[in-house]
Amino acid sequence: MRWRVVRAVTRTAFLEFWRSPAAVFWTYGFPLGMAFVLGFAFQPAALPPVPVAVIASPGAEHYATMLRRSARLDVEVLDEADADRALARGRVALSLHVQDGAPVLRSDPTRPEAELARLLVERAMIDASPQAASIAPVRHEVEDRPGARYIDFLVPGLIGLNLLGAGMYGVGFNLVQMRTQNLLRRLFVTPMRRSEFIAGYLLGRSVLVLPEALVIVLFGTLLWGVPLRGSVLALLSIVVVGGLCFSGIGVLCASRARTIETISGLINAVMLPMWILGGTFFANENLEGPTRWAAEAMPLTHVNRALRTVMLEPCGLLDVLLPLGGFAALGGLCFWLALRMFRWQ
Amino acid sequence: MTSAADAAPAIELAGLRKAFTKGRETTVAVDHLDLVVRRGEVFGLLGPNGAGKTTTVEICEGLTAPDAGEVRILGRSWRDGDDGAIRARIGVCLQETRFHEHATVREVLALFRVSFERGRSVDEAMALVSLEEKADARQKSLSGGQRQRLAVAAALVGDPELLFLDEPTTGLDPQSRRQLWQVVRDFRAGGGTVLLTTHYMDEAEQLCDRVAVVDRGRVIALDTPAGLIRSLGAEHFVTADVVADSGVAPTEAELRALPDVAAAAFDTAPGSVRLTLTVRSVHRALPALLTLLEQRGLVLGGLSTRHATLEDVFVHLTGRQLREGGAA
Repeated sequence: MRWRVVRAVTRTAFLEFWRSPAAVFWTYGFPLGMAFVLGFAFQPAALPPVPVAVIASPGAEHYATMLRRSARLDVEVLDEADADRALARGRVALSLHVQDGAPVLRSDPTRPEAELARLLVERAMIDASPQAASIAPVRHEVEDRPGARYIDFLVPGLIGLNLLGAGMYGVGFNLVQMRTQNLLRRLFVTPMRRSEFIAGYLLGRSVLVLPEALVIVLFGTLLWGVPLRGSVLALLSIVVVGGLCFSGIGVLCASRARTIETISGLINAVMLPMWILGGTFFANENLEGPTRWAAEAMPLTHVNRALRTVMLEPCGLLDVLLPLGGFAALGGLCFWLALRMFRWQ
Repeated sequence: MTSAADAAPAIELAGLRKAFTKGRETTVAVDHLDLVVRRGEVFGLLGPNGAGKTTTVEICEGLTAPDAGEVRILGRSWRDGDDGAIRARIGVCLQETRFHEHATVREVLALFRVSFERGRSVDEAMALVSLEEKADARQKSLSGGQRQRLAVAAALVGDPELLFLDEPTTGLDPQSRRQLWQVVRDFRAGGGTVLLTTHYMDEAEQLCDRVAVVDRGRVIALDTPAGLIRSLGAEHFVTADVVADSGVAPTEAELRALPDVAAAAFDTAPGSVRLTLTVRSVHRALPALLTLLEQRGLVLGGLSTRHATLEDVFVHLTGRQLREGGAA
């Protein structure tokens, strides 16, 4: 491999990105905008009340008054038909009717808010009972310490997601675009080697992941106070090696695709499951069965986990050597396969 | 000392065949084609769209593998396993290439120069195609002609011995075409060899030392442009439009009996009859024709003469026009 050729391709790939306003916006502007919106949306705040219905009948008002004492419940007294309709459409999470003088709760347990409503209703009933005074009051504290909030969980995930997008779209998509424009064909008839071109292109696009990640980290730190407790070197290593790993996957996807439609489909097939299960927006450790296995098989899960480790815990490079080795091995394997499969035209 | 490879022709093609299959349909693009391009000549492949010109050129460039046949480029074969050695000595201008639209002319040429161990400087390449003033202009701001000249400069920046130009002037305005022709002439004057495909007969006549007329994947004629035209048996056409029923039209035999007339054809249109004579010398045939028409009382509606072209050669050989679509 001749480094002067790799350098020239790297420079071209970098400049092509840097001079394209749309590419810069989608790389820098979009993730920042998403962090901004999600950060505000998930600020620690009082939770909204859960809507429940009490079906009008003799004795209903007694229960309605009891439930209204809970600040977490939004109680409506409805006739039976209206209550059933509201429950069916999800406008209320639960309905209560009185049968033989005793309350009966109706809800669909597969809806997460239904279980919460049931617990809140039962709690309100316990609070109203004569025995309530004998139970020691439970004090609740809002978790708003830096490092433990949702935004602290989200920012490392957004960095991971951005590395994935940069690898798949920044590298994979653009390679296929060059193929459709005959530019790869034209380069093929020069003495440029595959390895020189692919390495240069991969580097040219990946060199941007560092500033890209730093912008998100700075944004999170300055605006939300997201901590960086681990080693900066470890964070940078994960960004660079993780970014190269995703770029390797991007090159592999693009190595034989001939049309924009094909590469779009391939990118979606790779990215969509990782968007959902890769642990960016919620912790995938709580998943079970095949879904958990799938999540554990996704590189984004491990990139996000490693990023959270170094950002939220006082960890050094040695603590993330294993995942770094994994990212390097996967990226290297993809690059090796892409070299063998790559077609210029 | 000159090696056998150095003394070999620029291009040797023998028994070349290439077919493309789509679904159940197989199209033979190149059908047992034989060709030798000598060093230092501009060689034209002339034929209609779909004749197999581009496939032939792409096989020569190493972009497409033939199904059968031998290909030797500058004495080497793509099968020898050292493709880089051939690529270092050729320059290619594809029918259409879109470079990075945000890259400048200088940057595009630098990228194409870097993989050659020896070659021209970027400034020299820009000067060859008169793009110095656009050195720092980005792709997207260039006109069609400037883009095409840049594509040629990218082919020349490695200082090739053999240049492939696949329909380089298609879609260009006359001035841009003439500029590119001059680039080709200068390259040839410097000792370079050019394989040019075109469906413009004037381009082939202007630029090419020899021309192969290709149809349905085969070479159907090969000679200098002048030689091909001479093969028609006459080099001029005289066309006379006479008003229908204004007199007694001459027969074909009577027209062919006129001095220096090689062939005669009739074409009837509403209200007129067109007589087309293929003649060896206009100054002898034309007065004789006019005299004959006057004797027959025929009223002349129009008269024109022109030189025979490669288009006429193609029509003569195939019975079809060069620019008819779907010729193979």
